[in-house]
Amino acid sequence: MNVARDIITVAGVSAGVFFFFAGTVGLLRFPDTLTRLHALSKADNLGLGFVVLGLLPQTGGLRDGLKLISIWMFVLLAGATVSQLIARTARQSGSGK
Amino acid sequence: MTEFLTAAVGLILAMLGLGLVSILRGPTDADRMMAAQLIGTAGIAVLLLLGTVTGVPAAVDVALILALLATFASIAFVKKGLSRLETDGADPGEDR
Amino acid sequence: MTGSSGDRYGRAVVAVGGSWRTATLRAAFFLCLWLVLAGANPADIPAAAAAIAAATWTSLHLLEPSRSRRSIPAIVRLALLFLYQSVVAGVDVARRALDPRLPLRPGFVFYPTGLSRGVRRNVFTTLTSLLPGTVPTGEENGQLVYHCLDVEQPVVAELAAEEAALVRALYND
Repeated sequence: MNVARDIITVAGVSAGVFFFFAGTVGLLRFPDTLTRLHALSKADNLGLGFVVLGLLPQTGGLRDGLKLISIWMFVLLAGATVSQLIARTARQSGSGK
Repeated sequence: MTEFLTAAVGLILAMLGLGLVSILRGPTDADRMMAAQLIGTAGIAVLLLLGTVTGVPAAVDVALILALLATFASIAFVKKGLSRLETDGADPGEDR
Repeated sequence: MTGSSGDRYGRAVVAVGGSWRTATLRAAFFLCLWLVLAGANPADIPAAAAAIAAATWTSLHLLEPSRSRRSIPAIVRLALLFLYQSVVAGVDVARRALDPRLPLRPGFVFYPTGLSRGVRRNVFTTLTSLLPGTVPTGEENGQLVYHCLDVEQPVVAELAAEEAALVRALYND
């Protein structure tokens, strides 16, 4: 049982780290503000999602697990909202070209 | 498991640092504001991992607060940016 | 933010209901959220009551009870589609970022939406901001402007499919 839980954790957290890596590579390589925003909002959200998924088997109980999931859903919704607001500002200030 | 999670914390922190350097170089304010987004995701991942590694459940609460603050910081930035555009006479893009 | 998530989970079962029913369901949702985030501690009851009252009032103030029909299977499908799309979007960005040739053809795509201005359109842009390769960047002449990583993707068709799923789930009137 413990081994199965640890395997899920290793897989989830590794996938999370990979997407954070990809997001940062995108930040460094993509050419302008709006494309960098794509890299940040999408890859990093997924990275956090996988880290949360990986940590779920290590939590003490149901409440801790639900708490992790609520934090992740909050970050997902907040990220989806904020990224379009930043994109709007970037386009209107003419830097998105 | 502890060693693995600690290594993951180190890697994500390195990604966070690199990302911050690239974002804070600019060139526009919108680029710099994405730092709040980056800290709002990578920083939270680090805190959640640390909470599990060290067995300090309060780290999860800190992560929640960080998520809230990062969101409010971004919204404050967008508000400020839009009001500046309005005074320039450009389309403020209302409806939110 | 709390308002919209309250809308999604607390009110999904309301087809046509009075505002009291909506208020009760939203308060129940916020109570569950409090229990998950802060735990059940008798000393917390005053703080919890104040927080739930404030959250319910704010959500009713910001997001009025809607009269349109909601379908729970369609909402579940929309949520699954959203999760699936956000995974595809992350993989897509990762693939482009790590590809040595950096395959990007960024540009703007205009999408004429059938959704009315205000809450519905905002829900739609929030959902679509996690679609693969697109970020909404506001609107122009009544059309939504999307920034795309690759303008050769079938962006408009994907957006139309997403809009249809959203209408089936929440705005079927």
